[in-house]
Amino acid sequence: MIHVFINIAAIFFLVTGLVFFLGGAVGIIRMPDFYSRMHPAGKLDTLGIFAMVTGLVIYNLHHFSLETLLLSIKMSLIVFFVFLASPTATHSIVDAGMRAGLRPWTKKKKKE
Amino acid sequence: MKFIGFVIVCLTGGLLLYGTVDLPDWGDPASPASTHLSDYYIEHIVEQTQVPNLVTAVLADYRGYDTMFETAVVFCAGLACFLLLRDFRPKKDRYFRHVPTGVMLHFKNPDTRLVAGNEFEHMDKDWVPSDMIIKTVCRILIPFIQIYALYVVAHGDFSPGGGFQGGVIFGSSLILMAISYNLKTLVKRVTEKFLSIFAALGVLIYVGLGFLAMIMGGHFLDYGMLAPLLPSDPGHIRALGMLGVEIGVGIAVMAVMVIIYMNIVSEGRHDEGL
Repeated sequence: MIHVFINIAAIFFLVTGLVFFLGGAVGIIRMPDFYSRMHPAGKLDTLGIFAMVTGLVIYNLHHFSLETLLLSIKMSLIVFFVFLASPTATHSIVDAGMRAGLRPWTKKKKKE
Repeated sequence: MKFIGFVIVCLTGGLLLYGTVDLPDWGDPASPASTHLSDYYIEHIVEQTQVPNLVTAVLADYRGYDTMFETAVVFCAGLACFLLLRDFRPKKDRYFRHVPTGVMLHFKNPDTRLVAGNEFEHMDKDWVPSDMIIKTVCRILIPFIQIYALYVVAHGDFSPGGGFQGGVIFGSSLILMAISYNLKTLVKRVTEKFLSIFAALGVLIYVGLGFLAMIMGGHFLDYGMLAPLLPSDPGHIRALGMLGVEIGVGIAVMAVMVIIYMNIVSEGRHDEGL
């Protein structure tokens, strides 16, 4: 019985992660300029990785033992470091864009 | 001078291409790799070396000479970068910033000295204020990256990893420090002298282990002869020898990575840059 619940939880998290990744991929293609593209690339990828790895951690605990628990903790560490590194990288890229003088996109088109 | 360099490069490339004529074709069923060599490794590695990771056993034991000269090539790359790019001439224009007020001073005469306390800091022409978010996160991350690099080096003979990979990870953690703060912060902590000594030390550890095996009465790089020096299971000595060699490779690669980065990013001056 417990295995069914573990499977349901793992599938739920994996599908959630896939939805976030899909949104991120569509956003990177569809968004109009550099800054708004960084938005899906930074946020949705981070949350997608969180959901995916959480699903894998839960799935990995099927046969509960010290070994699988250790592996699951290592996998959660990946999430921890991605949560630290990915937003910082996005921040620094956007910062570099601002310093280089790239203007944010606006809806009004300038007459040329 | 450029023409001579071009001729030398063409000659070396031609020789290398000429050498490939003798190599067996891709997927040639009659080549040694497909007939008996792979089978020999797969069947005998564990009983001969007691190393579970076959890749490391082939790399550091069966092909020990190859890896040794690979390390020497890495060292030569760092040395060439140093010799070509390093520039010891003092810079003409210098800039100082008064920290409390933000006023900048521009010195055009190289002999002028600024007689003042700590409130002035030397800075680059294209100075950008370092970002607090990036600095803080990198300060948190760098120790973990370095521990992970040591883990990769130490686990080279059990799981994927080894000296080259671990050295690159360790070197990139130092480069991350130079990117997130500035190059001067890195040079203050990890001096050029330290890096040069470590680049040579890494190669020396590798070659020294080889010679130590010769002194103990075996062939060059025959780790099995080191058994009397270490109080452990004599069957496991080859794995320990490989670990020693991997540590040497890791040190050399780490130092050379940072030397190349420092020289390229600051055009050999080591005072400004990212």
